[in-house]
Amino acid sequence: MADKRLPPSRRRFIATMLAVISGAVALILGIPLAGFFALPALKRLDRRWLEVGPISEFAEGEIKKVLAKPLTAQVWPYETPPVAIFVLNRGGENFALYHIHCTHVGCPVRWNPQASRFFSPCHGGVFDKEGRVLAGPPPRPLDRHEYKIENGILYAGRIYEVNEKLEFTRWYHV
Amino acid sequence: MVSRMKGLLNWLQERLGTREQLTKFFYRRLPAGTGWLHTLGSAALFLILVQTLTGIFLAFYYVPSPEHAYDSLTYIQNEIPFGTFIRGLHYWGASLIVVVVFFHLLRVFFMGAYKYPRELSWVVGVFLLLLVMLFGFTGYLLPWDQKAYWATVVGTHIAGTAPLVGDYLWRILQGGEEVGVRTLGRFYTAHVLILPAILYGFVLIHLSIVIYQSIAPTPRRGLDIIKNEDYASLYAASKEKGETFLEHLFRDGVVFFFLFLFLVWITLTWKIPMEEVADPTSTDYVPRPEWYFYFLFELLWIFWGKWVPVATFYIPLVGVVLLFLLPFYDRTPGRSPLRRPLASGLATATVTAMAFLTYQGATAPLPPAATITQEAKALPPDLAKGMEVYEGQGCSACHVVRGRGTAGPAETRNG
Repeated sequence: MADKRLPPSRRRFIATMLAVISGAVALILGIPLAGFFALPALKRLDRRWLEVGPISEFAEGEIKKVLAKPLTAQVWPYETPPVAIFVLNRGGENFALYHIHCTHVGCPVRWNPQASRFFSPCHGGVFDKEGRVLAGPPPRPLDRHEYKIENGILYAGRIYEVNEKLEFTRWYHV
Repeated sequence: MVSRMKGLLNWLQERLGTREQLTKFFYRRLPAGTGWLHTLGSAALFLILVQTLTGIFLAFYYVPSPEHAYDSLTYIQNEIPFGTFIRGLHYWGASLIVVVVFFHLLRVFFMGAYKYPRELSWVVGVFLLLLVMLFGFTGYLLPWDQKAYWATVVGTHIAGTAPLVGDYLWRILQGGEEVGVRTLGRFYTAHVLILPAILYGFVLIHLSIVIYQSIAPTPRRGLDIIKNEDYASLYAASKEKGETFLEHLFRDGVVFFFLFLFLVWITLTWKIPMEEVADPTSTDYVPRPEWYFYFLFELLWIFWGKWVPVATFYIPLVGVVLLFLLPFYDRTPGRSPLRRPLASGLATATVTAMAFLTYQGATAPLPPAATITQEAKALPPDLAKGMEVYEGQGCSACHVVRGRGTAGPAETRNG
């Protein structure tokens, strides 16, 4: 079907040139666009430590919900919202800081002091005071924040996942 | 005036051949039996146009940022003339599209209309169905109320359970490690720019195929089984007995009108549910999805622990793949639902299961202690005391009393 006036070598040349031009444009546009879209999402949060409060505020053996304040402001939006954390004081400066999202599909768990259990409002997940799964579909115990205590102030850090023995398995969604 | 119109038509006729084009388009024959059920596709298109128009106007006032989204919607509803009406049309129209598209799919399935030579039309149609669901998912984050926020947290967590790429998907969808300012930007861009562009592209392909192949033969008398090699002659014969497109367009018009009146009636009588502004720190909120995701929500009750991805990933994936490939594995010549009992039976079972899961999802129990409510108060005092303990201590998470209670071992949930 090809026109006789257009020899194969000439056709190949035109096809190659068109491919090179489209490829170059796609790369020069595509790489910055991909970075623009994906890199902010893959970046870690810059607010590593959140101020939870003086350890004297946490009665031993009890769960308390706190709104932790980020220490460093974000670039934007400037007003960083507080982060909710359930804090368990185990005594002797030993704490457990639970992330409020259920490990099943992320619904906010609630602490029921009478029952001494966490309940998820969505699919019936139940966790004990240590965050271990008692019933329902959650695949692992409640996720936790790393923490540190400086001058009697409790700080919450990054979130990590634990196994049934409550040992660290990996950082949250890394 | 009339002569001027004629002049314009003649001008167009010389340049575009308008007369022949229009005659060909409006007077093309449709196969015999094309009737009211064949208006569902164009009804969906009509609703898509309504959504587009109301969506464009909502975008004049809506502000996609966590600080302003909720207030801008309150502003639209309380201050802008017809604000509640325009938003209402968009809000209820979204649900109506899901209903109409679903029935369109059922019509096409049970009439065997996805068979030769309309396989591609089916594949494009399944894309359109998924796009409609994605519109729903991205759209309901935009009000930035509690429902919006927590439904999105659940949605991104579900994406996060995908094998291998889950963590990346979770981050890419959210735009970071939490549902926040970047998530809203992403969902907004998807909802108003990316998805509409893709949707209209696929609608164009879908319509081109419908015009090129015309409407599938209605599977009755002599057309309930069609072998591929007989298709052309049988179809031509059926068209001989059929009406023109213009006559069918009348049915479309009537359906558009009543569908639109119905949408307006809903909009004027039902209140748009608007909850408190999104609060990522709240731990007393009970998230529930839109009704058309109830079947997926309910599916999540069933698979526990390491089996969670079966409900969040594998079943939806297999379902979508089976739906896409339907015309390629179901190549039997039967067109009438009665001539292919296996396909009809499986489809009916699937629809029944989805309806059952949707009902279960709609009536899913609340978490313990969120429910010390009307029922407990209506009981005699000593029983009420017991109910209070039962709820307060969280027993209902596992044990069922008076037909209520949550997960627990599956058998106890059913009483």
